[in-house]
Amino acid sequence: MAYIPPREPFSAWNRLIMAYRRFSGSWAYILHRLTGIGLVVYLFVHIWALSSLTKGRAAFAEEMVTFTSPPFKVAEWLLGALVMFHAFNGIRIALVDLANGARYHKKLLGAVWVTGIAVVVLMFFLIFSSELFAK
Amino acid sequence: MESNVHTMATPKQETGNFMRSYSRPRKSGASAWWLQRITGLALVVLTVGHYILMHYNPQSGHDYGETASRLASPWFKGIYLGFITIGMYHGLQGIWNIVRDYKLKPIVGLSIFGVLVVAGIIFVAMGWNTILTFDPAKP
Repeated sequence: MAYIPPREPFSAWNRLIMAYRRFSGSWAYILHRLTGIGLVVYLFVHIWALSSLTKGRAAFAEEMVTFTSPPFKVAEWLLGALVMFHAFNGIRIALVDLANGARYHKKLLGAVWVTGIAVVVLMFFLIFSSELFAK
Repeated sequence: MESNVHTMATPKQETGNFMRSYSRPRKSGASAWWLQRITGLALVVLTVGHYILMHYNPQSGHDYGETASRLASPWFKGIYLGFITIGMYHGLQGIWNIVRDYKLKPIVGLSIFGVLVVAGIIFVAMGWNTILTFDPAKP
Protein backbone atom coordinates (compact mmCIF):
# COMPACT_ATOMS: atom_id res chain seq x y z
CA MET A 1 0.00 0.00 0.00
CA ALA A 2 1.42 3.31 -1.07
CA TYR A 3 2.02 5.92 1.58
CA ILE A 4 0.23 9.14 0.68
CA PRO A 5 1.67 12.09 2.64
CA PRO A 6 -0.82 14.63 4.01
CA ARG A 7 -1.37 17.54 1.67
CA GLU A 8 0.70 20.62 2.49
CA PRO A 9 -1.42 23.61 3.47
CA PHE A 10 0.77 25.95 1.40
CA SER A 11 1.95 25.94 -2.14
CA ALA A 12 5.65 25.68 -2.90
CA TRP A 13 5.84 29.44 -3.45
CA ASN A 14 4.13 30.18 -0.15
CA ARG A 15 6.44 27.83 1.72
CA LEU A 16 9.46 29.45 0.10
CA ILE A 17 8.31 32.90 1.17
CA MET A 18 7.23 31.80 4.66
CA ALA A 19 10.66 30.28 5.22
CA TYR A 20 12.20 33.74 4.96
CA ARG A 21 9.59 35.89 6.65
CA ARG A 22 10.94 35.85 10.20
CA PHE A 23 14.36 37.29 9.52
CA SER A 24 15.09 40.83 8.44
CA GLY A 25 18.46 39.67 7.12
CA SER A 26 16.73 37.17 4.81
CA TRP A 27 14.64 39.97 3.36
CA ALA A 28 17.79 42.02 2.89
CA TYR A 29 19.32 39.07 1.01
CA ILE A 30 16.29 38.78 -1.30
CA LEU A 31 16.04 42.55 -1.82
CA HIS A 32 19.77 42.78 -2.57
CA ARG A 33 19.34 40.25 -5.37
CA LEU A 34 16.16 41.81 -6.77
CA THR A 35 17.59 45.34 -6.70
CA GLY A 36 20.80 43.99 -8.28
CA ILE A 37 18.89 42.38 -11.15
CA GLY A 38 16.89 45.59 -11.59
CA LEU A 39 20.05 47.71 -11.68
CA VAL A 40 21.73 45.47 -14.29
CA VAL A 41 18.64 45.67 -16.51
CA TYR A 42 18.66 49.46 -16.03
CA LEU A 43 22.40 49.62 -16.84
CA PHE A 44 21.81 48.02 -20.25
CA VAL A 45 18.93 50.40 -21.03
CA HIS A 46 20.97 53.35 -19.74
CA ILE A 47 24.03 52.64 -21.93
CA TRP A 48 21.82 52.05 -24.96
CA ALA A 49 19.71 55.20 -24.39
CA LEU A 50 22.70 57.49 -23.81
CA SER A 51 24.44 56.35 -27.01
CA SER A 52 22.37 59.13 -28.63
CA LEU A 53 24.99 61.55 -27.25
CA THR A 54 27.14 60.72 -30.29
CA LYS A 55 24.33 61.85 -32.64
CA GLY A 56 24.63 65.48 -31.58
CA ARG A 57 22.75 68.13 -29.66
CA ALA A 58 19.41 67.92 -31.49
CA ALA A 59 19.00 64.14 -31.22
CA PHE A 60 19.93 64.24 -27.52
CA ALA A 61 17.50 67.09 -26.77
CA GLU A 62 14.72 65.26 -28.58
CA GLU A 63 15.32 62.12 -26.49
CA MET A 64 15.44 64.11 -23.26
CA VAL A 65 11.92 65.45 -23.89
CA THR A 66 10.71 61.91 -23.16
CA PHE A 67 13.05 61.33 -20.23
CA THR A 68 12.08 64.55 -18.46
CA SER A 69 8.33 63.81 -18.66
CA PRO A 70 6.62 63.21 -15.28
CA PRO A 71 6.38 59.38 -15.47
CA PHE A 72 10.08 59.10 -16.26
CA LYS A 73 10.97 61.52 -13.46
CA VAL A 74 9.06 59.38 -10.96
CA ALA A 75 10.78 56.26 -12.34
CA GLU A 76 14.15 58.00 -12.04
CA TRP A 77 13.43 58.87 -8.42
CA LEU A 78 12.36 55.27 -7.65
CA LEU A 79 15.52 54.02 -9.38
CA GLY A 80 17.38 55.92 -6.67
CA ALA A 81 15.70 53.69 -4.05
CA LEU A 82 17.18 50.60 -5.76
CA VAL A 83 20.60 52.28 -5.95
CA MET A 84 20.62 53.40 -2.31
CA PHE A 85 19.42 50.07 -0.90
CA HIS A 86 21.89 48.07 -2.97
CA ALA A 87 24.78 50.44 -2.19
CA PHE A 88 24.21 50.71 1.58
CA ASN A 89 23.36 47.03 1.99
CA GLY A 90 26.52 46.32 -0.02
CA ILE A 91 28.55 48.22 2.59
CA ARG A 92 26.84 46.08 5.23
CA ILE A 93 27.78 42.90 3.34
CA ALA A 94 31.40 44.05 3.10
CA LEU A 95 31.45 44.79 6.86
CA VAL A 96 29.98 41.36 7.64
CA ASP A 97 32.48 39.63 5.33
CA LEU A 98 35.64 41.61 5.98
CA ALA A 99 35.15 43.16 9.42
CA ASN A 100 33.30 42.10 12.56
CA GLY A 101 29.93 42.98 11.05
CA ALA A 102 28.33 39.63 11.89
CA ARG A 103 28.12 40.83 15.53
CA TYR A 104 26.12 43.95 14.69
CA HIS A 105 24.59 43.26 11.28
CA LYS A 106 21.03 43.93 12.50
CA LYS A 107 22.04 47.39 13.69
CA LEU A 108 23.78 47.89 10.34
CA LEU A 109 20.57 46.91 8.57
CA GLY A 110 18.70 49.52 10.59
CA ALA A 111 21.29 52.07 9.51
CA VAL A 112 20.88 50.91 5.88
CA TRP A 113 17.14 51.58 6.01
CA VAL A 114 17.44 54.91 7.82
CA THR A 115 20.22 56.25 5.56
CA GLY A 116 18.60 54.89 2.41
CA ILE A 117 15.17 56.38 3.13
CA ALA A 118 16.76 59.71 4.15
CA VAL A 119 18.73 59.95 0.88
CA VAL A 120 15.72 58.91 -1.23
CA VAL A 121 13.52 61.54 0.46
CA LEU A 122 16.26 64.15 -0.05
CA MET A 123 16.52 63.20 -3.73
CA PHE A 124 12.75 63.67 -4.07
CA PHE A 125 13.20 67.36 -3.26
CA LEU A 126 16.14 67.71 -5.66
CA ILE A 127 14.56 65.83 -8.59
CA PHE A 128 11.19 67.56 -8.30
CA SER A 129 12.62 70.95 -7.29
CA SER A 130 11.35 72.67 -10.45
CA GLU A 131 7.80 71.39 -9.81
CA LEU A 132 7.82 71.88 -6.04
CA PHE A 133 9.43 75.32 -5.88
CA ALA A 134 8.03 76.80 -9.10
CA LYS A 135 8.00 80.57 -9.15
CA MET B 1 5.62 3.16 -3.43
CA GLU B 2 7.27 4.70 -6.41
CA SER B 3 10.98 4.27 -6.42
CA ASN B 4 13.30 6.82 -7.89
CA VAL B 5 16.19 4.40 -8.30
CA HIS B 6 15.89 4.41 -12.07
CA THR B 7 15.75 8.17 -12.38
CA MET B 8 18.62 8.90 -10.00
CA ALA B 9 21.60 10.62 -11.52
CA THR B 10 24.55 8.34 -12.00
CA PRO B 11 28.11 9.66 -11.86
CA LYS B 12 29.39 10.26 -15.34
CA GLN B 13 32.85 9.83 -16.68
CA GLU B 14 34.45 13.23 -16.30
CA THR B 15 37.52 12.69 -18.46
CA GLY B 16 37.62 14.81 -21.54
CA ASN B 17 34.37 16.62 -20.70
CA PHE B 18 34.72 20.27 -21.61
CA MET B 19 31.82 21.09 -19.30
CA ARG B 20 33.60 19.68 -16.27
CA SER B 21 34.71 23.04 -15.00
CA TYR B 22 31.06 24.07 -14.84
CA SER B 23 29.57 20.91 -13.32
CA ARG B 24 32.45 20.23 -10.91
CA PRO B 25 34.15 23.54 -10.24
CA ARG B 26 37.80 23.19 -9.33
CA LYS B 27 38.54 26.83 -8.76
CA SER B 28 37.73 28.25 -5.36
CA GLY B 29 36.25 31.41 -6.86
CA ALA B 30 38.06 33.48 -4.23
CA SER B 31 39.42 36.01 -6.72
CA ALA B 32 35.91 36.61 -8.14
CA TRP B 33 34.63 36.96 -4.56
CA TRP B 34 37.29 39.55 -3.72
CA LEU B 35 36.74 41.41 -7.00
CA GLN B 36 33.01 41.57 -6.26
CA ARG B 37 33.73 43.23 -2.88
CA ILE B 38 36.38 45.60 -4.27
CA THR B 39 34.34 46.70 -7.30
CA GLY B 40 31.25 46.90 -5.07
CA LEU B 41 32.90 49.30 -2.63
CA ALA B 42 34.20 51.42 -5.52
CA LEU B 43 30.72 51.44 -7.06
CA VAL B 44 29.14 52.66 -3.79
CA VAL B 45 31.06 55.92 -4.26
CA LEU B 46 30.73 56.02 -8.07
CA THR B 47 27.04 55.10 -8.36
CA VAL B 48 25.71 57.15 -5.45
CA GLY B 49 27.91 60.05 -6.62
CA HIS B 50 26.72 59.62 -10.21
CA TYR B 51 23.06 59.54 -9.16
CA ILE B 52 23.35 62.70 -7.07
CA LEU B 53 25.50 64.46 -9.71
CA MET B 54 22.90 63.76 -12.41
CA HIS B 55 19.95 64.93 -10.28
CA TYR B 56 21.11 67.71 -8.00
CA ASN B 57 19.26 70.09 -10.29
CA PRO B 58 16.81 69.43 -13.15
CA GLN B 59 19.37 70.30 -15.85
CA SER B 60 22.49 68.53 -14.60
CA GLY B 61 21.71 65.11 -16.03
CA HIS B 62 19.43 66.03 -18.92
CA ASP B 63 21.08 68.97 -20.63
CA TYR B 64 23.45 68.58 -23.59
CA GLY B 65 25.56 71.59 -22.65
CA GLU B 66 26.15 70.41 -19.07
CA THR B 67 27.02 66.91 -20.31
CA ALA B 68 29.43 68.36 -22.87
CA SER B 69 31.16 70.54 -20.26
CA ARG B 70 31.66 67.52 -17.99
CA LEU B 71 32.95 65.37 -20.85
CA ALA B 72 35.51 68.06 -21.73
CA SER B 73 37.56 66.87 -18.74
CA PRO B 74 39.84 63.90 -19.47
CA TRP B 75 39.59 62.96 -15.77
CA PHE B 76 35.82 62.69 -16.04
CA LYS B 77 36.15 60.62 -19.21
CA GLY B 78 38.69 58.28 -17.63
CA ILE B 79 36.63 57.79 -14.46
CA TYR B 80 33.51 57.09 -16.49
CA LEU B 81 35.25 54.56 -18.77
CA GLY B 82 36.23 52.72 -15.59
CA PHE B 83 32.75 53.22 -14.10
CA ILE B 84 31.06 51.57 -17.10
CA THR B 85 33.52 48.69 -17.09
CA ILE B 86 33.50 47.81 -13.41
CA GLY B 87 29.76 48.48 -13.16
CA MET B 88 29.07 45.98 -15.94
CA TYR B 89 31.55 43.49 -14.47
CA HIS B 90 30.00 43.73 -10.99
CA GLY B 91 26.46 43.47 -12.34
CA LEU B 92 27.04 40.49 -14.60
CA GLN B 93 29.15 38.74 -11.97
CA GLY B 94 26.21 39.24 -9.60
CA ILE B 95 23.73 37.79 -12.12
CA TRP B 96 26.05 34.83 -12.69
CA ASN B 97 26.28 34.38 -8.91
CA ILE B 98 22.48 34.15 -8.73
CA VAL B 99 22.33 31.76 -11.73
CA ARG B 100 24.91 29.49 -10.09
CA ASP B 101 22.64 29.08 -7.05
CA TYR B 102 20.26 27.01 -9.19
CA LYS B 103 21.40 23.60 -10.26
CA LEU B 104 21.03 24.05 -13.99
CA LYS B 105 22.16 21.60 -16.62
CA PRO B 106 25.68 22.46 -17.80
CA ILE B 107 24.47 23.35 -21.28
CA VAL B 108 21.90 25.80 -19.86
CA GLY B 109 24.33 27.33 -17.38
CA LEU B 110 27.09 27.70 -19.95
CA SER B 111 24.64 29.23 -22.45
CA ILE B 112 23.59 31.85 -19.89
CA PHE B 113 27.26 32.48 -19.14
CA GLY B 114 27.94 33.01 -22.85
CA VAL B 115 25.01 35.41 -23.22
CA LEU B 116 26.18 37.42 -20.17
CA VAL B 117 29.76 37.69 -21.46
CA VAL B 118 28.75 38.66 -25.01
CA ALA B 119 26.12 41.17 -23.83
CA GLY B 120 28.62 42.65 -21.37
CA ILE B 121 31.31 43.11 -24.03
CA ILE B 122 28.86 44.64 -26.53
CA PHE B 123 27.39 47.11 -24.03
CA VAL B 124 30.74 48.12 -22.51
CA ALA B 125 31.96 48.77 -26.07
CA MET B 126 28.82 50.83 -26.73
CA GLY B 127 29.41 52.90 -23.59
CA TRP B 128 33.12 53.43 -24.36
CA ASN B 129 32.18 54.40 -27.92
CA THR B 130 29.71 57.01 -26.60
CA ILE B 131 32.34 58.61 -24.36
CA LEU B 132 35.31 58.41 -26.74
CA THR B 133 33.58 59.54 -29.94
CA PHE B 134 31.51 62.28 -28.25
CA ASP B 135 31.82 65.50 -30.25
CA PRO B 136 30.41 68.57 -28.42
CA ALA B 137 30.41 70.64 -31.62
CA LYS B 138 28.00 68.33 -33.46
CA PRO B 139 24.66 70.11 -33.99
